[in-house]
Amino acid sequence: MLNHHRAEHLLSAYLDGELPPQEAAAVQEHLLDCAGCRETYERLRGTKGLLGQLPLAEPPADLWPVLLEPAAGGPDPGDPGGRPARGRGLRFARIPRPRRWPALLRRPAWAIAAALAVLLLAAVPLVKGTVDRLHATEIGVDLYVREHAIQMSREPLADRAYLDLVATDADLVLVGETSRAGEGGR
Amino acid sequence: MTPVPAARSVLAAAAIVLMGAGVGPAAPVPPPIDATRVLEMALEAPRLIDYEGTKVITALRAGRAETVTVAELHKRPTMLRLEYLSPEGVAGRLIVDDGTAAWHYEPRLNMAFEDQTVQEGLSVRDLTLLRRNYTLSLLGTDEVIGRQAYVIALEPRGAGVRRQLWVDRATGTVLRTEERDPSRGAVLSTYFSRISFSLNLPEALFRFRTPAGARVFTMRTVEAGSMSPAELEQRVGFRVLIPPVLPEGYTFRGGAVSRFGSLTSVYLRYSDGGSLISFFEAPAGAIGWPAFGQPVRVAAQPARFVDLGYFRVLIWEQRGLRVTAVGTAPTGTLLTVAGQIAAGREQALVSDVSRRVESDPATIRRLRGQGLTFPEIARTLVLAQQLGTDLSTAVRFVHGAITEDELARQLGMQPDALRQTVRAAVQRASTISPVAPPSGGDRPPAPLPPP
Repeated sequence: MLNHHRAEHLLSAYLDGELPPQEAAAVQEHLLDCAGCRETYERLRGTKGLLGQLPLAEPPADLWPVLLEPAAGGPDPGDPGGRPARGRGLRFARIPRPRRWPALLRRPAWAIAAALAVLLLAAVPLVKGTVDRLHATEIGVDLYVREHAIQMSREPLADRAYLDLVATDADLVLVGETSRAGEGGR
Repeated sequence: MTPVPAARSVLAAAAIVLMGAGVGPAAPVPPPIDATRVLEMALEAPRLIDYEGTKVITALRAGRAETVTVAELHKRPTMLRLEYLSPEGVAGRLIVDDGTAAWHYEPRLNMAFEDQTVQEGLSVRDLTLLRRNYTLSLLGTDEVIGRQAYVIALEPRGAGVRRQLWVDRATGTVLRTEERDPSRGAVLSTYFSRISFSLNLPEALFRFRTPAGARVFTMRTVEAGSMSPAELEQRVGFRVLIPPVLPEGYTFRGGAVSRFGSLTSVYLRYSDGGSLISFFEAPAGAIGWPAFGQPVRVAAQPARFVDLGYFRVLIWEQRGLRVTAVGTAPTGTLLTVAGQIAAGREQALVSDVSRRVESDPATIRRLRGQGLTFPEIARTLVLAQQLGTDLSTAVRFVHGAITEDELARQLGMQPDALRQTVRAAVQRASTISPVAPPSGGDRPPAPLPPP
C-alpha cells in the first residue's frame, strides 16, 4: 500500500510512464482513493499538455559561434546560418558557461569546512607562538633557577648535594611533572 | 666550640687548635695555621680524598626550613654519587657524576636527565676572589661527629651571605657548613652525621646505568664554554644588557646562550667567589609575564619578586627584553642592581667614565663588552695607568685571574709595593667611578601601590 506522501512524489513519473508496472499500479490505486492526489495529478497533466503544445524554435544564428565551435576553425562557411560543418565534432572547452559559483561553494558544508581549514592553517603559527609563550611563562623561572643552581655548584664553597636537588626539581617541572611526589605546582 | 676574635695572633689560634685537639704540652707543636690555610685545605681536599657519608641538609624552601638527608660518595678528583634518603618526596633520587657527564634520576617517574658535568678543578681565581672579597677568620676548633675540625668564618666585604665552615683537621673535608643571610638568619646548613675516608671506592659506583624502560632527557640547555657579552650579542642578534654596577667584589664569571624549546636566552653570571648572581635576558615577546610572585617596581616599571627560599628571583622588562636575576644576594641588593640596569644610562655612563678616567669611549665600550661593570672599568684603567701594564693584564687582575704575587712577579715589583699601588689605584677609582656599588643591607621589596 502506497502512502500519500510517497504517491505525491511519484505522480510526475507516473504521468510520463516511467514507473515500473507494480509501482504504477500502486499509484493508480492510490489515485482512486485520494482526492488530493487526483487534483495534483490533473494539474500536472494539464501543465505537461501545455508544454507539449509549444512550437520548437530555431536558435538565433549568432548563438552558434558562441555556443559551439567547430573543431577545425569556425563555422562552416557554406552554411548560411554559420552552423558548424557536420562530421567535424564539437569542442566544449571554449564554450562559455553560464556564471556559476565554484563547486565547493554550492555545497555549504564543504565550503565551511574549507574555510575552517584555511583559518586553522593560518592560525597555527599564531597559536604555536602563544602556546610557546605560555609554556615559557610556566617554565621560565624553573629553567633559570635550574641554570643558576647548576652554575652555582661550580663555585668552590657551594654544596653540590643541595644544588643538584634544586636542579632535579626544576628538570622535572621542565618536562611537565611535579618536582616532588605529593606536591603541586608553585 | 672555642671562639677566638679574628684579630688575635696566629699563636693564639695555634694554642686553641692544640687545646681543641686535646694535645698535651709534651706533644710536638704543629705549625701555626691561619684561616687562609684552612680554606686552602678545604678547597684542595676533594682532589685528595675519597669519602662516603650521610649528610643532613637544612635549607629554606617555600617559606619553611626543609631537611634533606643524602648519602654522599666522592671519589677523587671529581666523581660524585648522591643518593637522597629523605624526605619522602625525594627518597630514591640519584645523582651520578663521572667527571664527564652528570645524571639525575627520578625513580618515581623512571626518568633520567643527562647534563654536562660541573665538576671543575680548583682555579687560582676561586681562592683569589674569596680572599679578596671575604674577611677570613679562624674561630677555633670544634668537634663534628667525633672528629676535630677547624672553624673558619667568611664575612663578605660587601652585602651578601656570611659563611662558616667546619673543616676536618685530618683530611680538609668540610664536615659542616652554615650560610647566614643578613635578614633571614641561616638559609642553608649542612653536616655529616657519619663519614668514612680512604675507602678506595669502586669506579662502577660513579657510572650511571640507565634503568630498564627509563625515559632519558638530555638537558644540555647551556652551551659549554664561556662567551663575553659582546660575543653573545652577535650570537643571539639582540642587544645584551650588562649590569653597570654590582655589589662590591662581584665580577664577570661567564656568559652563555641558554636554549630550551623555542626560548633562547642570554645568560650572564657574576660571582664574588662565594655567591653567584645570574642574569637571564630573552626577547620579551618570547616569554609571558609570570602570574606568581610579589608585584614590585624596578625603575618605576612593574616587576615581579619571587622568594624561593634559598634563591631569590627578580623579573622585569626593559627595551623589549625580559630580564631575570637569580641569586642568594639580599633582596635590597637585587633591587638596586636591577634598578641600575633598568635606568638604561649606558651611553651617559660611557661618556662619564671616559671623561673621568681620560680614556676614549671606544675602550670603555670594549671593556663593557667583556662584561666589566663601570667601577671595574675605572679600576682597570687606573691600574693600567699606574702600573704601566696593558689593559688585558689589568682586566685579568681585576677579574681575579692573576694574584697580586703573580702580578708583582710579572712586573718585577716587590709584592708589598704592588699591594700599596693597587690599594691606591682602587681608592682613586672608587672616587672617580660614576656609580657606587650597592652598599648592602636587606630591605624587603616595596609592594606596588594599589591601583
